[in-house]
Amino acid sequence: MKKLEERLGANKYYVDETSPHIIIDGQHVSKEEAMKLVNGCPAGLYTLQDDGTLAFDFAGCLECGTCRVLCGNSIVKTWKYPKNAKGVEFRQG
Amino acid sequence: MEQGVRERFDVIVVGAGPAGTAAAYRLAQQRVKVLVIERGMAPGAKNMMGGRIYTHSLETLIPDFRERAPLERQVRKERISIGAGGDMTTIEYATNNVAPDEESYVVLRAKFDKWLAEEAEKQGALIISNVQVTELITEGSGKERRVIGVRCHDDEVYANMVIIAEGANTVLLEEAGLTGPTPPHSMAVGVKEVYTLKPEVINDRLGLNDKEGMAWLTLGDMTDGILGGGFIYTNEGSLSVGMVVGLEDIGKANRSIDDMLGAFTSHPSIAPLLKNAQLKEHSAHLVPEGGYMSMPKLGGKGYLVVGDAARMCMNLGYTIRGMDLAIQSGICAAEAINVGLRDSNMDAVSKLYEKEIKNSWLGKDLKLYKHMPQFLADTPGIFQTYPAFVNDLMRDVFMVNGKGAEPLMKKMMRRAKSVGLSTLIRDAWKGVRSL
Amino acid sequence: MELLVCIKQVPDTSEIKLDPETNNLIRTGLPSIVNPFDMHALEAALTVKDQHPGSRVTVITMGPPQAEEALRHCLSLGADQAWLITDRAFGGADTLATSYTIAEAIRHVERLINKPFDMIFCGKQAIDGDTAQVGPQIAEELGMAQATYVCELSVHKDTGKVIVKREHEHGYEVMEAPLPLLVTATTDLNEPRMPGLWHSIEAKRYEIGHITLQDIPTIDQSRIGLGGSPTRVRKVYQPPLRSKVEMLSSVEEGIQKILELANIDNGQDYAGIEQGSAPNASTVEQEGGNN
Repeated sequence: MKKLEERLGANKYYVDETSPHIIIDGQHVSKEEAMKLVNGCPAGLYTLQDDGTLAFDFAGCLECGTCRVLCGNSIVKTWKYPKNAKGVEFRQG
Repeated sequence: MEQGVRERFDVIVVGAGPAGTAAAYRLAQQRVKVLVIERGMAPGAKNMMGGRIYTHSLETLIPDFRERAPLERQVRKERISIGAGGDMTTIEYATNNVAPDEESYVVLRAKFDKWLAEEAEKQGALIISNVQVTELITEGSGKERRVIGVRCHDDEVYANMVIIAEGANTVLLEEAGLTGPTPPHSMAVGVKEVYTLKPEVINDRLGLNDKEGMAWLTLGDMTDGILGGGFIYTNEGSLSVGMVVGLEDIGKANRSIDDMLGAFTSHPSIAPLLKNAQLKEHSAHLVPEGGYMSMPKLGGKGYLVVGDAARMCMNLGYTIRGMDLAIQSGICAAEAINVGLRDSNMDAVSKLYEKEIKNSWLGKDLKLYKHMPQFLADTPGIFQTYPAFVNDLMRDVFMVNGKGAEPLMKKMMRRAKSVGLSTLIRDAWKGVRSL
Repeated sequence: MELLVCIKQVPDTSEIKLDPETNNLIRTGLPSIVNPFDMHALEAALTVKDQHPGSRVTVITMGPPQAEEALRHCLSLGADQAWLITDRAFGGADTLATSYTIAEAIRHVERLINKPFDMIFCGKQAIDGDTAQVGPQIAEELGMAQATYVCELSVHKDTGKVIVKREHEHGYEVMEAPLPLLVTATTDLNEPRMPGLWHSIEAKRYEIGHITLQDIPTIDQSRIGLGGSPTRVRKVYQPPLRSKVEMLSSVEEGIQKILELANIDNGQDYAGIEQGSAPNASTVEQEGGNN
């Protein structure tokens, strides 16, 4: 299987360059909380860096809400759907 | 931009998924003035599933759906598998004898939801896409708190009733304080890839005729002991391949959900199916697997909750049901509202809705299977030791090595003892009872 | 102010895929969208309307009946009126015939509303044709001032002037232009807004007016449609994929290679450039450009 980033390239996105729809605090995270997101995000958007911080890129988001449910009270500070039809557009579903 | 109330609707539906659209369809049929607001570019653009729809409830809504609905293949083969390492044990049930109300079809949501919305529009529903409901508008407080409309960024619209069909991510309900936060143990995340293949190739690889389909659910060590499993559904010219994994323990797994998907698609029994296939889409969605026990309050003053937002979804292990429940809940909501409008008693609607559900097969089925989620959660053996157990058992049964055969019973008992015979019996008994 | 936006419904060229078997581009079955540059034109018009209360934004397009979708999308963002120029007689038109037809239709609408348009907004080019000709040609046809490749705009109705910033090859220029004015928009001009709920509802219910050949009896029929098109598309084909790319390590090597390929062996023959030295700005001719 190709890398996840490459596979996400098959999708159609209207990226809202003006504002990220999910904002996290990846600086002071416990490994336990962080791993929930690293393992659970189906788009692989969360990566644990070598220095223990959590990196995140909203552009490939599939808007499932997994991160909101798992860490909505901790690491994930803001979770909204992208504005209107921005974000991913499923053509198969 | 003009502010203020421009027009009132009888009902506003938030979300044009199957639950919301079914409600709008039935309401519009009864000449109720209904507005559906969908954030995606078109209905279906933000939706996905495995997946299969059992069409009995769709049939009550649209009896001639078969003539127009974009149905991929009708399911005629059911497979369930349990895999460990490179082994897989599969049971397949094939049939040509499916009564009309037993039918199920594989569908692709971007196409299906769009079609269902068009049908609702033909009935007179007003469906607006590419507009996002950002907030529920309420008035009053405490017991008298009532939902009176919705806000879409800078615009507001009011109605007698708001049907919340926002899907598994109940952001609007939570932000309005009408329900608590979503508990991880009630939810699973489903990820799916659609791979295109010529229809004849799909037919050949799975032993199907044209227009015949297969629903295949698997579980095994590809989820690394975490509650979950894989699935394959056959579309007309593609395969929907994916994984559903429970959220509660995902943080403790040694692999990500994408790794699990990779373990599944590279399994020796699965990989040949995808040979030379082209990836078309990678999608994901939350699955409210908690069932009956996890369902939130289904309504209140001025609002009703339908579909995945009401956590009406059943994962029974050998099949998953969501769409038929969603459509039925939409129908029940519409019926309750119709009565409320007729009797000019909108305050009675949410109780009526709950009664409609309870009295229909929807409530009964939900209640019947209410213990399944807990059983799955309490029986990690299913995902941890049983896959190896079953496959090793099969190995014992089928392998001949010239070292002298053993009686079958002896072989089986040895394997059973290694997992604990009493545990096995107890788990099997609990499993059967939860179904 | 009366504001007009000219749009075009185009296939979504970002969705073009390569057929894995034939290695050809699959150009059919593409979803239709409003030409992205036209969305910036519309946003500019809507912004001017916001700044000048009482103004009206009209959208117009020439196309088949399904182009109504594109018009409705514009209405859902806040445009007030929409017209579809549609007639078999207008089909097969190149940019010249298209611009003439649209200009005539614009005059027709101005007669209907009994007011001239103060500004006309177009996208700089369409993503399928990429000619960037229709906007300027409409301005010429209507005898209007034009400012193309606009990346900044401010309208001063009281003085009847518009200040525009234009992009071109060598940088930017800031100009003062008179009203009425036609502008063509770039992506840097603005960020298109989201559809509004009430605008979307109105868009869905709006009765789009059609402008057919019958509505413009004074139109010169020799200038419309296929018959009125001096250019003909003879063939649309995919150029063969280049087999290899050669990487060169310096400008000098590059010049040498170009001269070799152009069959000029001796670099010294080429005026002003000595073999082995890089050209400097004074020796390279300035192009006139499309200002």
